[in-house]
Amino acid sequence: MEQVIAGVVLVIVLFALLASGVWVALSLLVVALVGFLLFVDAPMGLILATSVWGANNSWALAALPMFIWIGEILFRSSLSRDLFSGLAPWLARLPGGLLHVNIVGCGIFAAVSGSSAATCATIGKMSVPELRQRLYEDKMIIGTLAGSATLGLLIPPSIILIVYGVAIEESVARLFLAGIGPGIMMLLLFMGYVVVWALFNKEKMPEPEPSVGFVQTIKQSGSLIPVFLLIAGIISSIYAGIASPTDAAAVGVFLSLLLVWFNGELTWESFRDGLIGATRTSCMIALILSGAAFLTVAMGFTGIPRALASFIGDLGLSEWELLAALTIFFIILGCFLDGISVVVLTTAVIVPMVEVVGIDRIWFGIFLVLVVEMSQITPPVGFNLFVLQGITGENILKIAVTALPFFFLLIVGVVLITLFPDIVMYLPNQMNR
Amino acid sequence: MRQALDRFYRISGGIGAIFIAAICVTVLIQVSFNLIDRIAQLTTGKAYGLVLPSYAEFAGYFLAAGTFFALADTLQSGNHIRVNLVIQRISGKARRVIEGWCCLLGAAFSAYFTYWAANHAYESFVFGDLSPGIVPVPIWIPQVSMILGLVALTICFIDLFAQVLAGRDPDYLSQSEEL
Repeated sequence: MEQVIAGVVLVIVLFALLASGVWVALSLLVVALVGFLLFVDAPMGLILATSVWGANNSWALAALPMFIWIGEILFRSSLSRDLFSGLAPWLARLPGGLLHVNIVGCGIFAAVSGSSAATCATIGKMSVPELRQRLYEDKMIIGTLAGSATLGLLIPPSIILIVYGVAIEESVARLFLAGIGPGIMMLLLFMGYVVVWALFNKEKMPEPEPSVGFVQTIKQSGSLIPVFLLIAGIISSIYAGIASPTDAAAVGVFLSLLLVWFNGELTWESFRDGLIGATRTSCMIALILSGAAFLTVAMGFTGIPRALASFIGDLGLSEWELLAALTIFFIILGCFLDGISVVVLTTAVIVPMVEVVGIDRIWFGIFLVLVVEMSQITPPVGFNLFVLQGITGENILKIAVTALPFFFLLIVGVVLITLFPDIVMYLPNQMNR
Repeated sequence: MRQALDRFYRISGGIGAIFIAAICVTVLIQVSFNLIDRIAQLTTGKAYGLVLPSYAEFAGYFLAAGTFFALADTLQSGNHIRVNLVIQRISGKARRVIEGWCCLLGAAFSAYFTYWAANHAYESFVFGDLSPGIVPVPIWIPQVSMILGLVALTICFIDLFAQVLAGRDPDYLSQSEEL
């Protein structure tokens, strides 16, 4: 009973803090402090210092600023142009034409960068004007970009998976492996939808691109070589087991800088701006993670997660019922909070709960990412919507409507990984042996 | 005064950025050592066994230092995220009260936190705690970054609160696009 009161009070305090505009990280820290003051007798000041220090002084978390930095470097480079011109001749022949450049381009960029906002901004910068000039349906240009940019979170390296892995003390490399299968699955789902849409809406599609011939296609693909080398360098070093994600990320930063320097685009200004941008973003995320670390300790003392887990255990919910309930809960939460806050907030309480029902924590991480992806493209707080608003000049609601089909495809994705958990678990299970 | 404070936040953020870059450099040195060893193994059949001692631990300290030194700069430039859903509908005097509340709470909390961070580092110092790795570092040294960063953060919150009291929009509002 005491835990119920404590839980309700803390939830109310947390939402009051968040709603009054207090920074997310500060809200987490303060609500944990309130929890200590009201319900726990423990040396909270010292616990605050040790838990925050422990959360930040972390080798695994050092991958975070590195992967953000890669995104910052490449965003300032001509990579988006190279991706467009390299991919266009290959994809122009599919039904749906160059719309697929948005999807595949996002998929490729997601494999070097860990954030969906960076993916969205980098790909959209080039493809939106190009596709508009070719008179593609605006609805589809924006929708495909909004939908597939969310893959930045799922396809490794992924900032959210690093945060989740650090928060629950699970191997980030295994989480990365788990993200590959579902990432490819979502790419195929998105492309499949565009193909079907294009076949049914032939009158809305512009004239197909003139065929450029095989030799020209190969020639233009030359511009893809550097980025593929970069992906190969990062991904293969993690998966071959040579490097931890942090090692691979630092190598990725080096290769990205090399690539930009080789193209003659490396200036002191762009280097400095990229580094400062990465430092700030990483600082913001690390502080939220610090808040979560302190909150997790506070929660442990109050006994709320245990009480909730045994409550859920007593309910005897099936796995499906629990997941359906959680999906709805996360989508609602995602309307008010950004993805990282959602992940960080819930790990303390919900991961122990789902483990009671026998759900694997790695599988649950991927599930969480897919649901958070949905929240990235739903108003009012969908981060990708803001980025797209900046690129396209359309209003948020209109962008959200164009992204709606992709929202449903993400739900299909969640159902598929629940039906076939091996889509997620096959690769990480291979790593064990 | 204004210029001095702004420069203070920028420098502090710059130090943070240097620590972030230092993670990259440290790791790259270790990776090239691995590479040299691998090549030596293949060509001469013998690896040198090159290691940068405790490099993972140092990367962790650099990350912590990077985060803490960048706190104030990140706050002032509007990069710490918050939920704007409710407050963006409020303007004028009521909004100023809300911003004042946020900054005051931030100042109070970070002052409290600074005190305990200092206490924490002081205990490490008194007990002579060493890091567990190959190179034993007195652990209070990296912990000083937490104190300094939090001091800067506290100053920044007080500065922002003073701006609200003076009747103008705090810096983080003007420097970030309203999301």
